[in-house]
Amino acid sequence: MRLIVLWALVGIPLIWGVSQTLANAMALFH
Amino acid sequence: MLSILDRSRTIAPPGYNRFLVPPAALAVHLAIGQVYAFSTFNLPLSKLIGITRSAPDDWSLTQLGVIFSIAIAFLGISAAVCGRWVEEGGPRRAMFTSALCFAGGFFVSAFGVAQHNIWLVYLGYGVLGGCGLGIGYISPVSTLIKWFPDRPGMATGMAIMGFGGGALIGAPLSVLLMDHFKTATSLGVAETFVTMGTLYFVFMMIGAAMVKLPPPGWAPAGYTPSAVAKKLVTSAHVHADQAIRTRQFWLLWGVLCLNVTAGIGVLGQASPMIQEMFPGHISAAAAGGFVGLLSLFNMGGRFVWSSASDYLGRRNTYMIYFALGIVVYLLVPTTGQLGSVLLFVAGFAIILSMYGGGFATVPAYLRDVFGTMHVGAIHGRLLTAWSTAGVLGPTLVNLIRQYQIDHGVAKADAYSVTMYIMAGLLALGFVCNYLMSPVDARYHFRPGEDGSKADPDRILRGA
Repeated sequence: MRLIVLWALVGIPLIWGVSQTLANAMALFH
Repeated sequence: MLSILDRSRTIAPPGYNRFLVPPAALAVHLAIGQVYAFSTFNLPLSKLIGITRSAPDDWSLTQLGVIFSIAIAFLGISAAVCGRWVEEGGPRRAMFTSALCFAGGFFVSAFGVAQHNIWLVYLGYGVLGGCGLGIGYISPVSTLIKWFPDRPGMATGMAIMGFGGGALIGAPLSVLLMDHFKTATSLGVAETFVTMGTLYFVFMMIGAAMVKLPPPGWAPAGYTPSAVAKKLVTSAHVHADQAIRTRQFWLLWGVLCLNVTAGIGVLGQASPMIQEMFPGHISAAAAGGFVGLLSLFNMGGRFVWSSASDYLGRRNTYMIYFALGIVVYLLVPTTGQLGSVLLFVAGFAIILSMYGGGFATVPAYLRDVFGTMHVGAIHGRLLTAWSTAGVLGPTLVNLIRQYQIDHGVAKADAYSVTMYIMAGLLALGFVCNYLMSPVDARYHFRPGEDGSKADPDRILRGA
């Protein structure tokens, strides 16, 4: 359980950051 | 109370799951990686008085660019100076100190913004924050290498990937917070600094609380060190003070410096470069997307290349970075002439993945060459190569571009020579890496021999 919580704690902000970056990167090919 | 930070209090109990340690390291690296996104503050900081446009008393972009340079310089200095202290005091004390410095840097800078005193921002984010960066960067590295003797590249790659990922979180977070705190008379920068300092402090403290060292003599279940001796993987240990006297240290310093110089110069100029190489095709927004994409490859390359180095060998991995890098740099001007944005982006994505990979693979390379005893301290001293490259790379790219334009070369073609020079730098790096050989046995550490404070028991248990 502790393993999941800890990985989620670092994983969620990272996934959020990656999705924001990818959304901006789409402008490159439009 | 502060004894909970002691090295002895961070020893893991029997049966501790080693996969709890990488997220602890990531918590620190994801926070301090925000430094790569500091430029999102530059424009608002240049309009603190004028609000909608820069007033005469507002700070110039040149003054503001110095903040990042000071932070990176102090990253290198603090990592080099505090390496032994980090090694001897253990990861928790180092992570706690890093959190205090990094968050403290934001708070002092917030005060500097409120007072409109640039020197306080230099002192805060630059000096204090920079020390937090350096101590935080090296704090989990040797711990991870001890927990993952079977996959040191993958383990350090995971943490150092966080440093690349920190920008991906820091950039949108700072924009979001400034939007939230913005009023008719303020751009909300000071409030954003205080909020980010608080958030990052809590985040880093979770990492500090969770980090553990393996108990003496610990090894992963079923792990037996390779019986087949590999030429560049030592079972001996080299003291940090001895390591800097070896040829191998300076060759690796050159390897890191040249690999970083070739990547960082381009990373800093990516947005204007793609707009000038494809005039009329790439908008400012699309160029911003290009920078973001490069950051993604910079982050991904840290994990992928570093993990691959566990199988390929460290020296071979750097051979690939340099050889492939040379080929791609030589081909990039052609993609510009062909007008192919896709090929241009793909080329730089490969280059930036290897730029990140170079950072992430180096701790495991040091462990192979100098052993685990002082790998954190040696890594700290090697990071001065990064500070050097941080000045060298962007300066070189800017100077060459300006020289070309001043001599009548069209903007779209002004980067071609830069690319060829970058390929030349990578060729030099290739030679440095090619010359790597095992450290002479006279540099190997023997307990009690030099009167140093190194604990022989730690050496025997591979700590």
